[in-house]
Amino acid sequence: MSALEHPSFVDSSLEELLRSVQPRLKPLFARFSIPLQDTEDLLQQALLALVYQRPTVRDPEAWLVGTLRNKCLVYLRDRRRRLYEAVDAAVLELMAEPTAPDQETADRRRDLSVALEQLPDRCRSLLSLRYQGYAPPELAARLGYSQASLGKITRRCLAALTSHLIHGGAIRKKGET
Amino acid sequence: MTEPHPQRRVLELFLLGRLPSDEMREVSRHLLEGCSTCQRASSDLWQTRRVSEAPPSVAGALPWTRRDGYDEVFDRVLLRTSALQAEVQHGRRQALALLTELGRHPAARQRLLVSNSARFQSRMLAELLLEESHEAGFDEPARARELADLALMVADALSVADCGGQEAKDGLCARAWAQAGNACRIEGDHQGAERAFAAAIALLEGGRVGLTDRARVLDLRASLLRDQRKLADSSRLLDQVIAIYQRLGQSNLLGRTLSQKASVCGEAGDLETEMVLLRRALELLDPEEEPRVVLAARHNLITALNQSGSSREAFALLFHTRPLYLKLGDRMNLLRLRWLEGEVAQGLGRLEQAVAAFREVRHEFLGLGLGYDAALASLDLAAVLLQQGRRTDVRVLAEEMVTVFASRNIHREAMGAILFFCQAAKQEQAETDLAREVAGFLRAARHDEGLRFTPTA
Repeated sequence: MSALEHPSFVDSSLEELLRSVQPRLKPLFARFSIPLQDTEDLLQQALLALVYQRPTVRDPEAWLVGTLRNKCLVYLRDRRRRLYEAVDAAVLELMAEPTAPDQETADRRRDLSVALEQLPDRCRSLLSLRYQGYAPPELAARLGYSQASLGKITRRCLAALTSHLIHGGAIRKKGET
Repeated sequence: MTEPHPQRRVLELFLLGRLPSDEMREVSRHLLEGCSTCQRASSDLWQTRRVSEAPPSVAGALPWTRRDGYDEVFDRVLLRTSALQAEVQHGRRQALALLTELGRHPAARQRLLVSNSARFQSRMLAELLLEESHEAGFDEPARARELADLALMVADALSVADCGGQEAKDGLCARAWAQAGNACRIEGDHQGAERAFAAAIALLEGGRVGLTDRARVLDLRASLLRDQRKLADSSRLLDQVIAIYQRLGQSNLLGRTLSQKASVCGEAGDLETEMVLLRRALELLDPEEEPRVVLAARHNLITALNQSGSSREAFALLFHTRPLYLKLGDRMNLLRLRWLEGEVAQGLGRLEQAVAAFREVRHEFLGLGLGYDAALASLDLAAVLLQQGRRTDVRVLAEEMVTVFASRNIHREAMGAILFFCQAAKQEQAETDLAREVAGFLRAARHDEGLRFTPTA
């Protein structure tokens, strides 16, 4: 039987399915704090995939919930990666700005140093050297990591730094500015 | 220096990594200064909310049963997808016509049409070519490869927009590469299969391939690893596929995959796990919808029961499964049934029945030109004859085997093992264990010509 002739492909009611699964999807999107605009994209992608794959999907409701749960996880992972990369780029730029007045440069270095103090030893060493301008091969050689593992460790350290920036921690240097 | 706090919306966009780089820098700088107000706000925004995903037991009992922003999202998506659904159905009809049109041309012309004509650049055509390639894999391996190559050409030529997004495009290309790899595997071209799967896996590692497509690629790759006798790796991949189908709640696909994993365990000699997995698979599979898969799982369970010494249970299950073999009724399935009847009869000590069954099966396989299976049936027959002490009959059988199989397409190492047995039989020194050992080697070496036969005795 071709996929087109598959009865459920023709008979299925998309609206019925969506209404029935809605009470399970809303808390899912809420749990992952997905903004409405991105929710729309994720839902659209998943439903379109379901329309294409409908002939092979036995339980569309379970499929849709499982697929969207995975999409939310991927979304969360991407969102974190984007943030870590953005924070890294921002700190690299801050540390490299050639025209910054001396006092401001000194303040930035001190703030970064205070933040790095809160991180585990391994991350402190790695990020200190990174923001002093060491290139990855030099960093790997100095810290005794392979090039392949340096990437992973750097990502973990950036996650720790970002988490520290967002959630705070021991630093309360300026308090309420 | 006192700086103003970023607005809440700015913090939200910062956490999404979506601010322009100069604003990202400013917010990072602000947070680096240790502003506890903004840290509290961003921390609050960052936390995922701890809410239950379970459906409400009473309508209206939870806040998301009320109309909110999500409802508007659902409404808009439903409108768009309904329109797209009609387009997809129309596209499928067109693709069926294109597939029929392609089928009228020779292979070279098909490739030309697919690469040069915009009409053939359709996602639905790629999907249909993949389905056709999969079906052809069961009895026309060369055709399966041609179809997979065509699917790959179509998938490659499609734009992201044609596919409905990057994820769909990557998923389609990954499946097309995997299908091409599977077709190579079926043809025995393991190097070609490795290359194709490397391309498919690279797409999976890009992280943009959906779960269903990912499961399909891993599933096909597990079959290659199984053929290469990398059983532990194959089993690990199948575990990933099982986890995906559990997550997606697809019981039929879960049943199929459990059945596949059971076969891998069986080949690794772990009969207990094989039987447990097959029983779980049979609970999930629907005989009405997937009779062939159910039959294969039952067949394997009967074999495993018999091999593990539970021949009476194997006999009972065989009795209840016979109608399904007869219902499907194709020649190969009926031959497999007869072979299995011989094995179970041997397990029950009904040696004359086993001899009759194996002789029949051997004869049929020779008639079909399936030398490898005929050799296996000959060894099963020899084992029973040796059990009966009929050494002269085994010598005659061995002489026939040398004459018949030397002219068949049986790879060198397998032929060496057969000749080793025949030599021992002609000298009336062959034992039942040797016949079983050579048969076991032949089964293992079927897809791995690199295996070497080393007799234990």
